[in-house]
Parts: sequence; C-alpha cells; structure tokens
Amino acid sequence: MNPGRFILEARDLFRTVRDGDSEKAIIRGFSFNFERGEIYNIMGPSGSGKSSLLRMFNRLDEASDGQVLFEGAEYQSYHPCELRRRIGYMFQTPYLFPGSIRENLLYPDSGLSDTRLRELITGIKLDPNLLDTDTDNLSLGEKQRIALARLLAAGPSMVLLDEPTSALDPGNTLAIEELIRNIARRHELTVIMVTHNPEQAVRMGGEALLLYKGELAEWGGSDQVVNNPRTEIGRRYKEKDCG
Amino acid sequence: MIHYGLSQVLMSAALVALALIIGRWWKIPAGKEMLFGSVRAFIQLIAVGYALNYIFDLKSPWLVLVVIMIMITVGAGAASGRSKKLAGSFPITFAAIAAGSLITMGIMLVLNIISLEARYVIPLSGMIISNAMNAAALTMNRIVSDIGSNRLRIETALSLGKTWREASRPFMQDSAIAGMTSILNFLKTVGIVALPGAMTGMILAGASPLEAVLLQIIVAYMLLSSVTISTVISLELTVRRFFTPSHQLKILK
Repeated sequence: MNPGRFILEARDLFRTVRDGDSEKAIIRGFSFNFERGEIYNIMGPSGSGKSSLLRMFNRLDEASDGQVLFEGAEYQSYHPCELRRRIGYMFQTPYLFPGSIRENLLYPDSGLSDTRLRELITGIKLDPNLLDTDTDNLSLGEKQRIALARLLAAGPSMVLLDEPTSALDPGNTLAIEELIRNIARRHELTVIMVTHNPEQAVRMGGEALLLYKGELAEWGGSDQVVNNPRTEIGRRYKEKDCG
Repeated sequence: MIHYGLSQVLMSAALVALALIIGRWWKIPAGKEMLFGSVRAFIQLIAVGYALNYIFDLKSPWLVLVVIMIMITVGAGAASGRSKKLAGSFPITFAAIAAGSLITMGIMLVLNIISLEARYVIPLSGMIISNAMNAAALTMNRIVSDIGSNRLRIETALSLGKTWREASRPFMQDSAIAGMTSILNFLKTVGIVALPGAMTGMILAGASPLEAVLLQIIVAYMLLSSVTISTVISLELTVRRFFTPSHQLKILK
C-alpha cells in the first residue's frame, strides 16, 4: 500500500459528555489532517479539550459525531486493540505495572527478543543492565522513560503523549523532550503531544494547534502560533488572558 | 434413641433462661434481643417445619421447581441488596445463583446422586443457594471496588492494545478468590475444626457417622461446584457492565 501524506485525518469531531442533567460538548467540530512523521503540539487553557482529543485518537473514548481516518481507513474498520497498538498513548501520570522493567517492556508484546529489549532501553538512555530492576526503585524521570519505551515496544506508527513532562524538574524535562524528538526522527513517528507550556511547543518544533473551549482556534508552525498568533484567541492565550 | 417432642423443646427453654440470667448479671445490653430472638426462632422454625411438611408431601416436580425458583429469587434479592455499589445488580445475582444451583442440582439428579423428591432437593437447594448468594455478593463487591480504584492501570493496559478481559484479568482473579474463600476454607477445615450442620444433624437423627460423612462429602463437592459457577457468572456479567464493545472503560453512575 502506498502510504498517503496524512496518517490521521479528523473530520468535524464532536464529543459530548453528561454534565448533571444536561449534555456538554467538550470537543466541537474539530477537523485537522496530521502528516506522517511530524511533531504536533496541542496547546490550550485547562479544560479546552486537549486530553479528551488524545483519548479519542487512542479510542479510549468514542467521538459523539464526526469521522477519523487512520492510514486512510475509517477508525471503526480497525479492531480497537489493533488500532491502539498502532497509535500509542501515554497518560499524564504513566502507570508502570508491578514487576521489573523487562516485564513492563514485554507487556505489549511478550515475544520481543532480548536484543530488541536492549535496543529499547538504550533508546531511552538507560543502562541495559537495569532491565531486571523493579520499577518501584525508579525515579519519576526514569519511570517516564520506561513508559515511553513500553509505548514503542508495541511498534506504533504514531504516539499520543499527554503532558509527558508535567511532573518533571527542568533538567529531566529537557532530557525527555530531546528523547521524544530523537525517537520521532529515528522511528519516523508521528507525535501528537499535549503541553500546557508554550515554550515547550517552541522547543519541540513542528506544528502547534491551539484549542479553546473544545474548538481548534489556531494552528501553524509552533513558533508562529506561540510568538506571532494570528487570531484574537491566540493573542489572548499568549498574554495568558484566556485560561 | 431420643425422639424430640414439644416437651423437650420447652425444657430446653431453661437454657434460654440461663443465658438471660447471665446476660442480666453481666449487664449485657441485649436482654430484649435474646428473649425476642429466642421466641422468634421458635415461631420461624415451627412455621418452616409445617411448610416443609406440606412441601415434602407434594409429589409434583413442577411445584418443587417453583419452590426452588422462589428461593433463588429471594437469595438473588438479598445478594443484590448487599452489592450497593452496582445499581441494578438483581439480574446478575439472579443469573449467577440460578446457574450455580440449577446446574449443580441438575448434575446430581442426572448422576442419580439424589432423587427428584422434595425432601432431598429442597434442603440441598437451600444450602446451595445460601452459599452461592454469599459468593455472588462478595465477588461483585470486590470487582466493583477494584475496577473503581484501578482505572489508570486498566486504561493503561487498554491503551497498549490489550482487550478488556486482559486488562481486568488480575482483578477478576482476585475477586474470584474473594468469592470462593469461604468454601475453600471450609474444604480445608471440614471435619477437623468443625462438624458441619448436615453431618451433625444426621448423627443426631441416628445415622451412623460413616453414612453422615459420606453425605457431607457430597455436600462439600456440591457447594464447591455451585459457588464456582456463581462466582464466575457474577464476575463475567459484572465486568462486562464496565466496558463498551470497543474495549473502552465506562464510568458507571
């Protein structure tokens, strides 16, 4: 199959949830085409629907209306488990299963060879001799790396990262950012990453999408959206006046 | 051999009087409950005695089945009432208890271990249903609370491409053990720590201890089968409520 230019196409997506007796739309008419191998930063004030969008892309939540195409085919045409292996998702606070690093890396695919496990662990800049270390003994930054490596163990072509550095100190934040950029380049991965920090979007490069009240308010190169927004909402977000 | 009549029962009321005197002397604040409880037990058991006498005389297997269905319905209602964290759980407890008891009794009838007579089927069904009821309630409470407190772990497993069954397997296994703990402990200690009611009853009624033991072994196996079936069915039906067909974890209200 000749891969198209877009890996993921979202068309007029809506997600509504029950809010007491009424219904509340948390994503409203989101449309966007994500290109293969690019980095996308999803920005926006809290409650703007950033995490909800990622959960829908991993199909942990269902869209109430609209259409998503992955590799040109409708989401519903994939088995959800197969889709999730190809579109990895990392939670804001990653959960590591009880046991060793090895057990966590083998979780998505128990048939991985020892060589592949070593590749994965060196890929996240950890010592391969740590493979049998219990995950309880790891620092927060190390746990974040293991979660990232575990995501790659499933062999995805796209990863969704929900604020992957929100709990980390500045040193670890920069290290994880570099790791994500390297991994994206090396594996030709499409990365969609939620960030609440506009400077991080600039450092990550690629494109930025600004969500506001569940709608796509502005998009473009990360530097342009963060530093020279074209829309009123973009300018207000820059001035930290809408969140 | 002693035959029990009303006079022996009235004499045994002396033991109630003894308990009441001790209670009063020790100032146990349960004097009323002890007295009313004893009177209530007398009335309930006499009523059940008459009812069973009537039921045992029934020759229709359909009537026996009706009585069992009533027992299952009441048991399912009680189990469902104890699983407050899951709304609308009656169909689950009913299916679990009905499957556990009907399959077990059915096998016992087919293998000719018991005959289709009310005096065998109804008391044994009572034992099966009360054990299945406890197992279903314990299992459901455990799985509902485990899923509720492990959402991140379950969604992490789902997000990595696991099915709902794989994602919830550790919690299903723990809940199955919770539901079966009491029968597993019973099998370990039966005859050593305590002589079960059925066996004691038979010995008191004049049967030889060996005969009583053989029946008790049958009862133990019967309870293991029904509790296992009820546990598995209540788990399967409860866990499915938490997931959509697309392997998504729902938030239950």
